[in-house]
Amino acid sequence: MSAGAAAIISCVKPIRTNFKGYEGKFVAIDARTGEIVIADDDPKVVLEKAKGRNHVVVHGRVPHADEPIYVGLG
Amino acid sequence: MAACRTRTSQFTSALAERPLPWLYPYREDAQSTRLDAPVFRPFVPISLAHGEQSTWQLTGLVDTGADAILASDLLAEQLELDLDNPEGEATHAVGGRVVVARYKTISLRLHPSDADEGAYREWQTEVGFIDGWHSDGLVLLGSMGFLDHFTVTASRFAQAIAIEERETFDDRFGVVLA
Repeated sequence: MSAGAAAIISCVKPIRTNFKGYEGKFVAIDARTGEIVIADDDPKVVLEKAKGRNHVVVHGRVPHADEPIYVGLG
Repeated sequence: MAACRTRTSQFTSALAERPLPWLYPYREDAQSTRLDAPVFRPFVPISLAHGEQSTWQLTGLVDTGADAILASDLLAEQLELDLDNPEGEATHAVGGRVVVARYKTISLRLHPSDADEGAYREWQTEVGFIDGWHSDGLVLLGSMGFLDHFTVTASRFAQAIAIEERETFDDRFGVVLA
C-alpha cells in the first residue's frame, strides 16, 4: 500500500468517542482523537472553556439513556 | 441553466494552502449512549461570526433533509445578536418538535476535519436561531446556506463526507436542467 493510500484510509476511519459517564452534560471534543476534553452541566461554561483551544469542538449535550433516539433531525 | 449560474468566488479563505476537497470521517454521535452499537453521523467543525464576535468551533450536523441552517440561541448570545429584531421568522419541525427560528445574516466558517482554527472557508448566510435548542449538536447545516455553497458527498459506506467546490458537481455530471 502506498503512503498516500494509507493516509486516506487512516483519514476516513470514523472518529469514536466514549460518551459513557457524561449523560446530561455538555461536552467538547478533541476533533483529532474524539476524546472528551471539557464537560459541564452548563453549555455556556463549555463554550467559554473551549475558547482558544485549537482542534477542540463543542459538541452539544449527551442524552440520558431513556431519551428518544432521533432518526434524523431535518 | 448554465447561463444562470455564476462562478465567482463566494468565499474568503484563511488558508489557501489547504484547498478543497476536505474529507471528514463520520463521528460518533452522543446518542450512542442509548444503544449497544455506535451511531455515526456526518459532523463537520463550524464556527459562526458577526462583526468582531465569533463562536468557538462547534460540531455542525450536515442534514440534506433540512431546508435551512439552524442554531441554538446560545450562540446568538455569544455573537451579541439582537434576536428581538430578526430579518425573518419561520416555524420548523425539527427532531419531532415544532420550533420557531429567528433569522439573522451572519458569517459561517467551515474548518477542516482536524478543527484547525486558523484554516477555514467563510461565507455569509442566514441562520435561524432557536430558543433553548442546544441538544445533541448546536448547529444543523441544511440546504440554504450550506448545501448550496458546496458539493457535498456523504458515504456511509466509506464512513466519510467530502466537501468540494460547488462547481465540482457540474464539472463531474454536467449541468442538470430543471
